[in-house]
Amino acid sequence: MQRTSNPPADAGKTVLDAGKTVLKARTFECMGTVIGLTMPVDFPAEGQPGLAEFAAATAVVERLFQDLDETFSLYRPDSEASRLARGELKLPQASARMRERYAEAHEWRLRTEGAFTPERPDGVLDLSGIIKGHAIREAGTSLLALGRGDWCLNAGGDVLVSGSPSPGTPEPWKAGIVDPADRRTLITGYALGGNSGHEAIATSGSAERGEHIWRVGNEGEFVQVTVAAADMVTADVLATAIVAGGTRMLDRAADGWDVAVLAVRADGSMLATPGFQPA
Amino acid sequence: MKLRGTVAAALASAGILLAGWQSGTQVNGISTVASSTTAAGTTGATGSGSSGAGSSGAAGSSSSSGSSNSSASGTYKGNTVQTRFGPVQVQITVANGKITDVTALQLTNTDGKSIQISNRAAPLLRSKVLAAQSANVQTISGATITSDAYLTSLQAAIDAANL
Repeated sequence: MQRTSNPPADAGKTVLDAGKTVLKARTFECMGTVIGLTMPVDFPAEGQPGLAEFAAATAVVERLFQDLDETFSLYRPDSEASRLARGELKLPQASARMRERYAEAHEWRLRTEGAFTPERPDGVLDLSGIIKGHAIREAGTSLLALGRGDWCLNAGGDVLVSGSPSPGTPEPWKAGIVDPADRRTLITGYALGGNSGHEAIATSGSAERGEHIWRVGNEGEFVQVTVAAADMVTADVLATAIVAGGTRMLDRAADGWDVAVLAVRADGSMLATPGFQPA
Repeated sequence: MKLRGTVAAALASAGILLAGWQSGTQVNGISTVASSTTAAGTTGATGSGSSGAGSSGAAGSSSSSGSSNSSASGTYKGNTVQTRFGPVQVQITVANGKITDVTALQLTNTDGKSIQISNRAAPLLRSKVLAAQSANVQTISGATITSDAYLTSLQAAIDAANL
């Protein structure tokens, strides 16, 4: 990665060196949070097709997120999810994509012994615990289909990467893990991709927006749980499940999946599987 | 000739399976590995690491193969494979071209007993990770933040630097 000095914020025209690769980021708002796509972009002497391709890739990702949000958001009264929640629509009559996500969420409920569940305590179907991860997964598939091999997609703190920030090298993308007690600082870092094969990392918190985490008998054991896994939905669901299920679910996850887990308790103490332990 | 090929393939399968297993996908006792290796080796299949989607069963896909007519017999040691848990070496016993036993000769402990490879969580001291923490990260993982909270987040600062 040729991480050249960043252009001054007020410079409308960026001085770009021909042939250099720099990281570029684009963000958009969706699902109540901010989604960011970061890519190493090439700057040839003329035309800058690297930037154009980046813009196109960002547009594809944004469209995909918006499309899923229109169907699955409970914040949109007219969404299919809202009509289901109000009982105007029954699941058997719902769209195939809705039923597929419900089936996937239900499978995770079984795998996590109920620590992850697609239903709120009042019985209302709420797939928000799985839709963001699903959207990231789909976006990743689209980026690969577009021929993009090096990128980092961050949706409100859940991250999926491909390749390297420095194309053609084994350098991994590195994610910092936020300290729940002070969000301006990091607890530690984790290398995504590379030897671990973990290209996805997700963090769930006990104070999370949307309240899709409902505890199952481990009140407040962990205030924040980070899970790294090969795929986004696994990381996302297990992070949510461990916040809800505590140490027992943490042990189940560590035993049953190829994951690395970092869990932070309310007093600031931490539990970590070997993947998060310093060498 | 065929014997050597079969055994080599079987050992390779065992190695691959062990590597996949060692990577922590399905953490089980050594007996599970032995049985799955036997199954894969018998049919000449190659193992493949599970992606960790949580499906039960060991990492190994079997495919049919007509090469099991060989009458190979004997005991063969595999290469020592370095895993993230330490060196691992397996020995297979072959009777009439079929693997009848797989023994772990070398595992991370020294007394020769089979061990439970652990991916369990242990306490982590902040002082240790802070020392190991890299300041050079390209992205931030944290509990979902709202669009408003994003504005003051570390991620926003990183994104702004890359605009």
